[in-house]
Amino acid sequence: MSKNKTLTKKDQMQQDKAQDGQQMLVDFTRPRTNPMANVFDGLVRFCQSRSMFMLHYCTGCGAIELPPAMTSRFDMERLGIQPMVTPRQADILLITGYVSVKTLKRIILTYEQMAAPKYVIGICSCTVNGGMYWQSYATAKVLREYLPVDIYIAGCMPRPEAIIEGLQVLMDDIKTGRAENWKRYFQNYDYYLGNQQKLFGDHWQTPTDIISEARHYDLITENTLGKHTALLEKHQAPLQALEMTLQQNRERV
Amino acid sequence: MRPENYEARKHPPSNEFELNFGPNHPGIEGNYAFKVKLNGDEVLEAKADAGYLHRGFEKLMEGRLWIQNIALVPRICVPDPVPMEVCYSLAIEEIAGLEVPERAQWIRVMQLEMSRLAAHLFAFGGHAATCGMYTTMFWGVADRDLILDRFEELTGGRVYSIYNIPGGVRRDVPTGFLERLGSLLDYLESRLPDYDNLFFTNQIFIRRARDVGVMSQEQALKWGVTGPNLRATGLAFDVRRDDPYLVYDQIDFDIPTEPGGDCLSRNLVRRSELLQSIRILRQVIERLPSIKGPIRCPIPNPLAWNVPVGESYPRVESSKGELAYYVVSNGGDKPYRVHVRGPSSMHAVQVLEKLAVGSRLEDIAQIMFSLDACPPEVDR
Repeated sequence: MSKNKTLTKKDQMQQDKAQDGQQMLVDFTRPRTNPMANVFDGLVRFCQSRSMFMLHYCTGCGAIELPPAMTSRFDMERLGIQPMVTPRQADILLITGYVSVKTLKRIILTYEQMAAPKYVIGICSCTVNGGMYWQSYATAKVLREYLPVDIYIAGCMPRPEAIIEGLQVLMDDIKTGRAENWKRYFQNYDYYLGNQQKLFGDHWQTPTDIISEARHYDLITENTLGKHTALLEKHQAPLQALEMTLQQNRERV
Repeated sequence: MRPENYEARKHPPSNEFELNFGPNHPGIEGNYAFKVKLNGDEVLEAKADAGYLHRGFEKLMEGRLWIQNIALVPRICVPDPVPMEVCYSLAIEEIAGLEVPERAQWIRVMQLEMSRLAAHLFAFGGHAATCGMYTTMFWGVADRDLILDRFEELTGGRVYSIYNIPGGVRRDVPTGFLERLGSLLDYLESRLPDYDNLFFTNQIFIRRARDVGVMSQEQALKWGVTGPNLRATGLAFDVRRDDPYLVYDQIDFDIPTEPGGDCLSRNLVRRSELLQSIRILRQVIERLPSIKGPIRCPIPNPLAWNVPVGESYPRVESSKGELAYYVVSNGGDKPYRVHVRGPSSMHAVQVLEKLAVGSRLEDIAQIMFSLDACPPEVDR
């Protein structure tokens, strides 16, 4: 029964792909069956939305409006949001402004190091469509092609009030369970990796093993693995070969 | 038997290790990185790793109209954007031979000094944060915000104003603005003793910052250091006085210097410059109402403006140091070449690399903030 269902879904997907000529982004949300689990989830989400740590990474010029937003005048801390220095303990990744290609590599590395659930906020127009630097050779134009973005705060640059409002929208989204874009990164890893490879070259890979992490979170879909992740495995193949020779040597000894 | 060209393989000593300092680090000002080689916590070698904020400004400006670039230039240096606009406008005015009305020049001086106040408050606030004194940072940011409010009233923008255009400024000063600016200056001046008690005469700061990141006057001149960092080595050089632009030759102000050349001296120079900027702004408030006339000279249709052939190199004193634009026009509606001579590309790369050697790991952030380096301007 279930096999048939997935098959039909796959067939539909393939038809869609053929029609659009593009890879689709699919989000499979599984409803929880246990009613107590829903109550517990709501409680957890409320707590999550009230204690967020924001990664202290100034990626662009929008970071100049963060000190006023963080300090006494606009005071982000009354919403429970504080800067945090390490990505391992941070919940929010703020992309403040244009991302040059060199920075984007670090942003992806940082994002993959963060523990889920994690949220990405694109501040400034540059993260939406390139902004002022639409014709620049050095910047990545559309951020959501490389990372799943939860909230965009447009403006060049947005005022502290706008930043606070964007954060409040994110808090509401977390509370109601809408802010689940971090799952899309695992579910559609092939799409994001493909865009990253297009920009950085086919040999691009991060030390983080996203595929096994997706397996851990049970978020593997048919879009997690694809031709781009196959390239990743192909690139890692020499390492496996090395391991095999080492083993053979050991056996000989 | 070993071959003649045999050389033993050199291994680094086990007590030395390399550390990546930044770009995701709270001690780094902006998006910038360092690769440091350490022995314990003593820095043996530091290598700057810039380019995280590179957008290719100089190339982008060749593809846009003269007037469109006004919106682009303030993005080069985010904490202190006004000198960028003014300097670029001065370059075009020099090539095109435009006469800027006197009132516009006084308004530009007012903006430049407001921007300097804001940038200095931000700079020593950031330095205080690297010493763990977050109160000073909170105060500095809050006081800077009051200046940004005045900017918003004058220009419509909090950070980027896009208020200067070739030939003058866009709008006149709103009614009652000068009185409000005057009361803001009174407030800022009354805050300075508080800052002294909290930060500048605080032993926590003085013991951390004295004799850290020392450079002599010869070194500073050799390395191309300008601005407050040069004045902190005892040399009273200021573009505003030594190569006056706008109406700075009609204004009475001092050039504060300090002899030390260390982090402490650099911050004390900024502290004294706050007072001088307030003094200049008071003179502007006094003089501006009596200067009548237009706020900009007529320019041709900016969308089809062919600036005559020529080149110019005007320089202004920004809060970070000497800022200059080299602009070349070949008679077209777009600049042929624009080169930005920013102060931070010297301060943040070569000066910081040299000053960091011999200091301790925790002082790198302090040295960077005391040099007031601006990473977006390094990378452009």
